[in-house]
Amino acid sequence: MQGVRKLILLASLLAPLLAACGTAAAPDATSAGTGGKVTLVLGAYTTPREAFAEVIPLFQAHWLEQTGQTVSFEESYQGSGAQSRAVVEGFEADVVALSLEADINRIEDAGLITHDWKAVGAGGMMSNSVVAFAVRAGNPLGIRDWADLAGEGVEVLTPNPATSGGAMWNLLALYGAALRGQVEGVAGEDPDAAFEFLKSVLANVVVLDNSARDSITNFEQGVGNVAITYENEVLVGQQAGVDYELVMPSSTILIENPVAVVDTYADEHGTREAAEAFLEFLFTSAAQEVFARYGLRSVDPDVAAATAGQYPAVSDLFTIEFFGGWSQARQEIFGETGVFNLAIQEVQGQ
Amino acid sequence: MTTQRIVLPHKKFRGWGLRLLILAVYLYVGVLVLAPITALVNGALQNGLPSFLAALNTPEFWQSFSLSLQIALGVVVIQAILGSITAWVIVRHSFRGKALFNAVIDVPFAISPVVVGYMLLLVFGRNGMLNPVLSALDFQVAFALPGIFLATLFVSLPFMVREMIPVIQNLDRAQELAASTLGASRWTTFWRVIFPGLRTALLYGVALTMARAMGEFGAVLVIGGGVQGRTATTTMYIFHALEERQYVEAYTAAIVLGLGSVLIVSLADLLRHRTQH
Amino acid sequence: MKAVLPRSRRKERSPELGLRTASFTFILVMVLIPLAVIIQDGFKEGLAEFWRQVSLPVAAHAIYLTLWTSALMTIINATMGLLTAFIMVRYSFPGKGILNAIIDLPLAIPTLVTGVMLVILYGPQQALGQFLGQELGFQVIFAPPGIVLALLFITFPFVVRTIQPVLLELDRQQEHAAATLGAGRLTIFRRIIFPALALPTFSGSLLSFARAVGEFGAVVIVAGNIPFKSQTAAVYVLGAVESENRLAASAISIVLIAISLAVILFTNHLLGRRRGA
Repeated sequence: MQGVRKLILLASLLAPLLAACGTAAAPDATSAGTGGKVTLVLGAYTTPREAFAEVIPLFQAHWLEQTGQTVSFEESYQGSGAQSRAVVEGFEADVVALSLEADINRIEDAGLITHDWKAVGAGGMMSNSVVAFAVRAGNPLGIRDWADLAGEGVEVLTPNPATSGGAMWNLLALYGAALRGQVEGVAGEDPDAAFEFLKSVLANVVVLDNSARDSITNFEQGVGNVAITYENEVLVGQQAGVDYELVMPSSTILIENPVAVVDTYADEHGTREAAEAFLEFLFTSAAQEVFARYGLRSVDPDVAAATAGQYPAVSDLFTIEFFGGWSQARQEIFGETGVFNLAIQEVQGQ
Repeated sequence: MTTQRIVLPHKKFRGWGLRLLILAVYLYVGVLVLAPITALVNGALQNGLPSFLAALNTPEFWQSFSLSLQIALGVVVIQAILGSITAWVIVRHSFRGKALFNAVIDVPFAISPVVVGYMLLLVFGRNGMLNPVLSALDFQVAFALPGIFLATLFVSLPFMVREMIPVIQNLDRAQELAASTLGASRWTTFWRVIFPGLRTALLYGVALTMARAMGEFGAVLVIGGGVQGRTATTTMYIFHALEERQYVEAYTAAIVLGLGSVLIVSLADLLRHRTQH
Repeated sequence: MKAVLPRSRRKERSPELGLRTASFTFILVMVLIPLAVIIQDGFKEGLAEFWRQVSLPVAAHAIYLTLWTSALMTIINATMGLLTAFIMVRYSFPGKGILNAIIDLPLAIPTLVTGVMLVILYGPQQALGQFLGQELGFQVIFAPPGIVLALLFITFPFVVRTIQPVLLELDRQQEHAAATLGAGRLTIFRRIIFPALALPTFSGSLLSFARAVGEFGAVVIVAGNIPFKSQTAAVYVLGAVESENRLAASAISIVLIAISLAVILFTNHLLGRRRGA
């Protein structure tokens, strides 16, 4: 009797396995030599998810037409820092599309990227965006610019710079705007004043999410009054039917998103040809138009000109060069004794 | 002297103080356990039944579920064998450092899954200890199935061992001795005398291990890479669905995962109680 | 009584050794080596640097938050767990069977799902969340109370299920005697029952504490993760791992492991045989 019961339990456990075996997706061969099939592994940051969902099929069709080879994709989307770290630790992505140059540099420093990735396409940058704010429909708190973020009772969302590239862009935009004297009530070219302003905004932050996408979805769930985010993140959300508004600060940083082939893995997998072709494709107007449709600012001058109307104007646009490049920025702002960590420490110490 | 039957006043549900206590427990359990579960079900059905059913039909979900299931079953097999052996060794053997050995088994229970993933990276990652060996063999552990498998194996380690220990302790050694004096081989003794006593506990251990394995998240997040179809388990699927604003899909998957685990454990528990009485 | 085994059984040493080897190897590879690797990694740059990482204000606060939320949770869990176990064993009341099943639910539900459920229930967009947050000014989600709530959910079965078997085995003679001598129910509980349950309550609580300290999946969803405000040690480790701050990751991981291990060693010692000691 007991045996029968046990048998039944075993059977009920095994049955799903048998069913599962039938539906399990077998990993594709990643070697280009196996007839007409190749698999490309893409490691990206969270924001261009929807855009890639459209670009990839376009490339697949294009590649099939051109070479008769079927290319399938395996995609992973996580915070830019996390993704970059994963690649260094062994995630064998053939192509990486990340939020900031520094995350590509990390992969370069690990010896996995050996070519001059900046020579590809438009300086190695796949797309642009800017740091902006997402506010509730109707903008009840009347948030117009950076200074409003430090206001009394304002709840701010921004991700964690330890894991998210977007978070770093956000903070650089904030700090940079303050340094450039573009923040009301904050003296320009005064690091101390900018530091104080940074602290006042950080005091209003309610959640530090792992990635830019997590941050904006949290905002959509009703957390906070304003989210500092990528401009395109807001536009994508609006396209998905979320009811919120985009507010452009007067001064903000130009977000440049790099993309590169990871030499070591691409060669190991034998997918270099397809990988390089994919990269090339990302710079064509077809792909750039898709990016523009998902709120990214195109790096292709023609597409950019054609779509200029859909983006709010920015009066003071600066780049990472204002901070002396990424290495310096990472050290001075996000290092252990960097501005951000000091600010957070002082804020919470109160 | 007549024997006085002592009637204790606390056998039946009686008295307001008692009623209050029971109410308190119900309230606590209701708020702590039932309310969130209700909210989850509510969330999954927020767009109506058709939407819920459509979410159930998502191929990506079943892909991830199948992956979770395969990993869990593989883990269960290994734990059933090696976990039981470990429990046996702990009960029947004595050796120096046994207390520490015993405590170490519980480490996976208490350790943060993120730490688990990180430890595995330190050993199997590209910059890890075993990387030269792995590269030579062209065998990828981190960010591939073996890595997730190992992580899951690690976190589910204590469950089988802890279930088996009390049962092995309660075994009737007289029977084993009798069997061996009657000439039975060790294997026969094990299979015919010992194993039947362990069966139910083994089954329950299997169920617990399975539930734990399918629900693993933190370690998989760190060592997995979350690549759809290859290293995306059900928990990763839920996490990604939340990120993609696919709330009904996420909640539905959470319900299936939770329900599945609960069913497995309940079934085993039922069996355990049936055989005990 | 030591049984004298027939001469043919002296060869039993080899299978015994085989079992022990299998078990040791399993634990060595699965637990000890990863532990060793992380310890080595944490102390790679010396004790001073290790200590510096641990005493960094942000790390120290994360550890502090982890400890106090786990401790608070443990106290609540001990109280309600004891109460629940008591009424489950001693009384019959409507819905007892269902309650029994619900008690085990948290064990089967993946922690990620727990976090998701709590956000759905108490999130700011829900009526409940708004009521608590705006009317009462009490923030549950993305604040420490959310952490405590998640931990309470996850560890709920531990205290109850540790106390129940002890309560079942309790010798009622003393209670009967006390009752005949005129002691009231409360006195009986206070002087006879509770002392007998003190040990399992304590050890069950310790178990839930050890489990809570390492919790990640639910906490990362529910806590808010703001350094110095709502970031637990486990989440801090994740941030360190993901920003390649290896030393911080290893150092804090070691602290977490040490705490868990200490608590577990102590608990095993207290519970004695039942846990294989």
